[in-house]
Amino acid sequence: MSDPANLAAVRKQIEALAQASGFEERAVAEVGLCVNEAMANIIRHAYDGRHDQPIDVTAKADEKQLIITLRDWGNGMDPSKLPCRPYDPLEPGGVGLICLGQWMDDVLYALQGDGILTTLVKLRTPRTKQQKHERAAK
Amino acid sequence: MSELRSETDLISAARLDPGAEAIVASVRGEIDLHNSPQLRTQLLKFLDEYKPKKLVLNLKEVPYMDSSAIAVLVEALQRLRRAGGKLYLTDLQPRVKGLLEIARLDTIFVLAKDEAEALAK
Repeated sequence: MSDPANLAAVRKQIEALAQASGFEERAVAEVGLCVNEAMANIIRHAYDGRHDQPIDVTAKADEKQLIITLRDWGNGMDPSKLPCRPYDPLEPGGVGLICLGQWMDDVLYALQGDGILTTLVKLRTPRTKQQKHERAAK
Repeated sequence: MSELRSETDLISAARLDPGAEAIVASVRGEIDLHNSPQLRTQLLKFLDEYKPKKLVLNLKEVPYMDSSAIAVLVEALQRLRRAGGKLYLTDLQPRVKGLLEIARLDTIFVLAKDEAEALAK
């Protein structure tokens, strides 16, 4: 459910999976925060702060990567299509998306007709900044 | 030096240092969207009530915070700046430090090793 009281429990489950799958401590922390931020974005934006809406979270790890999906049934607004404003540390907002962009190797938003499927990918061998840049430019 | 009462468990201790025009508060626990509003309410209450020039937050017992907690700190900083004050963060844990760095706030807040260093700055 989209209750912020659930954020910590979900984050810790994903962190435990990442740790058990052999990701190093720093990567585990990055994944945990990114899952928190993705969920918080869904609560704040897709569900407009409502606390009683469903969020379906899955996670699986293999030899290459950790893949986390978050399915919501909210307003269908794709965060990647929002107007881009220069990040100002002294203005509210933007920190969560920065974390997702820098700490995850892929962040994908797929419209589902009745919401969005967000997919977060953390590679065991992270992409370099250059590789991320080239990928984003494609 | 007088102890201040906090209405949230997220602040385990707080004191007013009139000589330094400072409030020193120890924050405790993991902070996310669930409980960051409580921290916001208490910090802004301290600022409104005592109008310190320095707010020193000891984050030794904060192993984790998310962007909603960062937003609370930025709002407190803005409030202090309007009154010519500063926000000091001490005893940062690695995860919190990493988040401040990625948010480029490590150069905007005054970071100090401990409370004594913050009060001396």
